[in-house]
This record gives sequence, C-alpha cells and structure tokens, in this order.
Amino acid sequence: VAGPLDGPGAQKALVCSACHGFGGQSPSDTMPILAGMLPAYFKKAISDYASGRRPSPEMEPYAKMALQFGVDEIAAYFAAQTRRPTPIRVDAAAAERGRAASAQCVLCHGRDGKGDPAKLIPDLAGQPPGYLRSQMLLFRQDLRSPGDETLKALKALMRTLPEETLADLAAYYASLR
Amino acid sequence: MKRVTRREFLRTSAATAGLGALGSIGALAGCAPVTKGDLAPKSGRRVVVIGGGWGGATAAKYVRLSDPTIEVILLEPNRSFVSCPFSNLVLSGVESIGSLTHGYEGLRRHGVRIRHEAATAIEPDRSRVRIRDGYVEYDRLVVAPGVDFVWEQVDGVAGREGEIVHAWKAGPQTVELARRIQALPDGGTVLMTVPPVAYRCPPGPYERACQIAWYLKTRKPRARLVVLDANNDVVSKTGLFKAAFREYPNLEYRPTSRLERVDLAAREVTPVIGDRVRYDVLNLIPPQRAGQIAVQSELVGADRRWCEVNHLTYESVKQRNVHVIGDATIGLPVPKSGNVANAMGKICATAVVQALNGKEPPALAPGNTCYSWVNDREAIAVVNAYKVENGKVVQIEQKLTPRAAASVAQNSIGWRTSIWSDILG
Repeated sequence: VAGPLDGPGAQKALVCSACHGFGGQSPSDTMPILAGMLPAYFKKAISDYASGRRPSPEMEPYAKMALQFGVDEIAAYFAAQTRRPTPIRVDAAAAERGRAASAQCVLCHGRDGKGDPAKLIPDLAGQPPGYLRSQMLLFRQDLRSPGDETLKALKALMRTLPEETLADLAAYYASLR
Repeated sequence: MKRVTRREFLRTSAATAGLGALGSIGALAGCAPVTKGDLAPKSGRRVVVIGGGWGGATAAKYVRLSDPTIEVILLEPNRSFVSCPFSNLVLSGVESIGSLTHGYEGLRRHGVRIRHEAATAIEPDRSRVRIRDGYVEYDRLVVAPGVDFVWEQVDGVAGREGEIVHAWKAGPQTVELARRIQALPDGGTVLMTVPPVAYRCPPGPYERACQIAWYLKTRKPRARLVVLDANNDVVSKTGLFKAAFREYPNLEYRPTSRLERVDLAAREVTPVIGDRVRYDVLNLIPPQRAGQIAVQSELVGADRRWCEVNHLTYESVKQRNVHVIGDATIGLPVPKSGNVANAMGKICATAVVQALNGKEPPALAPGNTCYSWVNDREAIAVVNAYKVENGKVVQIEQKLTPRAAASVAQNSIGWRTSIWSDILG
C-alpha cells in the first residue's frame, strides 16, 4: 500500500513538519508554507540559510541537515504538495491599506502576488503575515542576501516604508488567494 | 477465530459471574467495558503505543499517516495533553495552563484508538501489553514513557514524596507551584533545586529560574530565589542564561550544590557544599530516569535509568519489536527535549511501518529546536542538526541565538503552534 509518506522526499522532510507543518502546510504565523514552493527557490533558500546569507539561528543548522540528506528530493516533495493559504486571520482594514501600498510590489510579484518562477521571484500569496513581515525587516536592514544587486531596489524601497506599512503589506499578501 | 485457552475461559467466566452477581447482565452482551482477557482482539497488523506525550502521540499519528491499514492503539491515562514546553511561563503568570492544554480528538480523527488507561506490564515473549487484568496484543510496540523520579536519591523525603512540588510534568503540579509562589510573602525565599544530568529538558530549570525571578522582581521586590544546582555549571545555553541571570539581583545561583538532605518540617535544604537554605516555597526537581514501565520491563540498561536503542529504528537493544522514544532513551547525542521526542516519534513510526511492510528503515536523524523565555517578552534559543554516519546519529552543528530577543520569543510562539499541530492535529 502506498501511503503519503512513501518516497524518500517525504521521509527526509519528516523533521521539517515540526515547524513547517505536515506536507509543508505551516499552521503558524512565523514559519513559511513550503507546500507548492518552486524547487529552485527552495534550494536557493536552503543554500542561503546554510551559508548565512539568510540569517536564521533556527534554519542554519536545519539547512545543513537538508543538504546532508538530499535537498533535491526534499524540494521535489514540497513542490508536489498543493499549497493551502495560511490559516492566520488578518485584519481586513490592514490588508486593504496593504493593497493600496502595493503598487511597487506588483511590478515583480504580479497582481496576484504569485511571482515569476522564471526569475525566482517567490509566490507571496497566502504566506503567513508574520513570516512576510520578518523577511521585509531583514531586507530593509540588508541582513538577507547582503550585496545582492538584483535586490538593491527592493531594499531601498523597504527603507522608505514605515514599519506599519510593512505590516499592512504582509497582511495584504497573506490574505491573497 | 481466536482460540480461547482453558485458563482464559475460566478467568472470563469468573469475571462474567462476578458482574452477574452485581446484576449487570449487559456485560454478557458486551455493553460494559471488558477488563479481563484480550481487551481488543486483533484482526490485522497492530502497533501499540504506550504514552501520549510529545513522542508517543506523534508516533501514533504518523503510523496511521504512513499506512492507514495498520491499527494503532494508544495507551495514555490522561484525558488531555498538557505541554511541558511553555509551562514555566505559567509560574510567572505570562501563560495560563489552559492555553497549554489540548485534547486528543485530532488523533482520533486519524483513526488512532485511544484507551485512557495505563499499561501495567509488557510481555514481549507473548507480544502483548497488560492493562490491569486484561491485555492488548501488538505486532510492534512503541514505548514513550517519559521520565519518572528517583526519589531514593533525595535524602529526607521518604514517605512524603507526595508533598514535594516538582512541577516537572505540566498539569496540576504546575498550577500548585504557581499558587504557592503567588502566596509567597514579600521578603520570602523560593528555593529551587536542579537535578544532576541526565534529566528531562536541560535548559528547563534555568528558564524556570528566570521566570520565577522575573515574577518576584516585578511583584515581590523583597523576595528572593535561590537555585541549588547539582551540576557544576548551567547545563544548557550557558552564556545566554548567565547573561539573563545578571538582570535578576534577586536570584542567587549556586552551582555544584547537590542536595545532601531535605528537612520538610524545618523547611530547610542542606547542599553538600555551602550553607543550608531556609525556604518558604520549595520547588524540588528530583533526579530522573525512564518512566516506570520501561524500568520494570527491563528496557533500561546497566544504569537502571535509561533505554538504549538502535539509532535508525529506535528498537530497544534489549527487546525485539519493542521501540523506545523520547526522554527515556540514551545514547543518541541529543537533548531530552520535546522537539527531539517529536522527531523520534516520526522516524520511529516510519521505521515501524517499513518493517511491518517488509522494507528496510530509512536512515533519518532527529533535529532539535529549543526556546527558553528569560523574561515576559524575550527568549533565547538553541538549534541542533544531526546526520546519520555508520548507522549512528551524530551532530552536524549547534547554533545559539546571539542574545535574548523579542523576535525569538515570537518565533517560539510560531514553533509551538506548528509542533502542537504536528503532534496532535
């Protein structure tokens, strides 16, 4: 009988579910949803966490573990899961303010927030708001991917926005379906 | 069709007769719970799990997720799950016990059959677990017994163990310790003792010290906390905890202070080195070993305390088809933490399902994510990653947060939401 945990990717991803949920469907505000994530984006994230280009005391060791166990299979497993949006509810007024403030974001992430796989621009729709907000703060302080030329404009934009607007943007993208 | 032996027939008949004498004819029709003989006759493949904590509940759920054709019976006396992680925050009033309490209905939705009863013995030769006068049979057994206390090593409490508030298993003990600390007169002394390693949750006592000291500093500024640590230094996150302790002038931390004697009548504790301490509230965290069922079933090693296991399958090195997970295990280079127990539960479940399907177990290693709150809004963390090398789990890396931060505390809230759901959801 083939169960949902047959296959090496599913088994190697077992340890991830403590934080990222079964099948990568994170139920929490701070941990990103990995279900349906583009494999190339997942692998870049793991590589960046392992090297410290994405700073996270939690993810640095786990990224090294994923590289040990076989990141290709883990990436393929999460990519094959159907993403369900975050169960974290956001304030409708905040999401509306975020929508109004998103004019520049849509240039890269698209009107639906789903990004552009060809350019490794991630799908933000339905990700937990706490996670989105923490990443914007890392970009703004140039702690995530420091020195990356392609992110220069994005980081400059983040620095012009007040923290409350970043929270509104997080609420907006978390609310997208 | 199950063959009934003469002895079983006689025992069942006697039970029926006994019930009949009480006028309970319904027992004959099977309306009353069966308490003797085979309590749940087995028709297919079955895994029995002893203990519904962080490891056992996870294992029960993941066996069902991996192969729904395998029946799972979980034996857990408690009707609700109370999280030990975050229970120190109940002592400071930052959390309520209710927010850490969950039901087992999620496991039932996965088809886990839960019996709120304690396993009383394991009979590996007959592949069954005794529950008082009855038993259930298994193909594979997962033992997740947590810890029990080695009271013999605490001089002065014999016969009065029930008066000691350890609060090292979250629930009524936690609530009682919180109540006593709240009732402490300003100017009073709380005394906490840390057992020698190995014990459940290495950073737990130090997080607790921070929470109690924070509460006293905020609410009872003339009261103090004395910590007598049997170990030579803070066992986990050492530098981070010592930095946190500096924020609490009301906290006196005394390492290398194993207990010599406890005098409950005089409210005094004497450590082997240093001055005797008089207390108003005592929180004695006793020395620990694997849960009683593992000790009495000879799953523990020569130390009579902990269970050695195969690093890939968690099968006991002492009994075939019996697996041990969680705090009761020894030998892997991992802390006795809830996150590790959860990971062991998933890996063990996978290995058990593979074995029942005639396949080799995958070579998987656990991970450890561990947060400690040092006041009412900031936390520190340690994370350990592992790999498998020559059939053994070895550490790849340990990483600590640079300092206490509110963002780490926020991550810990995310972690608990996720992992409680992974265990019980």
